Amino acid sequence: MKKSWRCFICQDIHVGNKPPEICPTCGAKNAYVEISTAEAVGITQAFPRQINREAFLQAIEALAAQNEFRVNPDKEKVNLLLDGLFANEENHGYKFCPCRLQTKDFQEDMKLICPCHFVIHETYRHRADGECWCGLFQRRPR
Amino acid sequence: MKKIIMFYARECPHCRVMLPLVDRLEKETGITFERLEVWHDEKNADLMRSYRHILAPACGGQLRTPTFFQPESQAILCGEVPYERLKAWAEEALSLKA
Repeated sequence: MKKSWRCFICQDIHVGNKPPEICPTCGAKNAYVEISTAEAVGITQAFPRQINREAFLQAIEALAAQNEFRVNPDKEKVNLLLDGLFANEENHGYKFCPCRLQTKDFQEDMKLICPCHFVIHETYRHRADGECWCGLFQRRPR
Repeated sequence: MKKIIMFYARECPHCRVMLPLVDRLEKETGITFERLEVWHDEKNADLMRSYRHILAPACGGQLRTPTFFQPESQAILCGEVPYERLKAWAEEALSLKA
C-alpha cells in the first residue's frame, strides 16, 4: 500500500512505500513525514501545471535519453499516438495506451498509463528490434 | 452467418495498418468482419471487456488492439500481422467448430 509523504523543508510530495532518504528538490536528509492522501492531493493541486503535447513529448524524450530506448522516429506514428493519449486523458482521465483497453480495475489500468513499464513486455524484452506494444518507444539501435 | 469481430482503436497505429487489410480480405473472400472501435464507444469497450477472460490470455495478458475474435470457435489473433497470415487465420477460425 503506497503512502504519501511530505518534505517538511520544501513541501515536496512523494507517493511510495517509503520516503526518499534525500529530498531530490532541497537536498535535506531524512526530511519526509507521512501525511494523509487528502493533504497530499491538496498540496499537489496548489501547484497546477498542464502538460500539453509538446511538453509531454519533451518529457518522454528526456526519459528515453537516459535509457536504452528512444521515442519512435516515425513522426506520423508518434502524432497519431499522441492524439490517442490526449483523447484518452480527456475522455477517461489518464493517458491510457491507445492500443490497449482499460479493464475498469484501476490497479490493473495503472499499467496502461503512458509511459508504461514496457521493458518487461514480450514485445520488447530480449528483442533487438523491441518496441512497446503501441510502438511509441523502441529499443535504440546500437 | 459466422463473422469475425475486429476490436480496434481509432488512434492505434497497428489498427490503421490492419483496417485496409480487412477491407481487402472481405472483398477477396466474402468473409465478414464486424469492426468495433473501443476507446470512443463505451458499448464496444464493454463488449471487449466481457471477453477479457478469453482475450487477455492470448494477448500478453491484456486487452490489446487490434484483436480479431471469432466468437463461436473462440479463435483469437492479436496485433499487426501480414495479409496472408490474417487470411489463413480467418479461414481457419471460420472452419473450426464451436
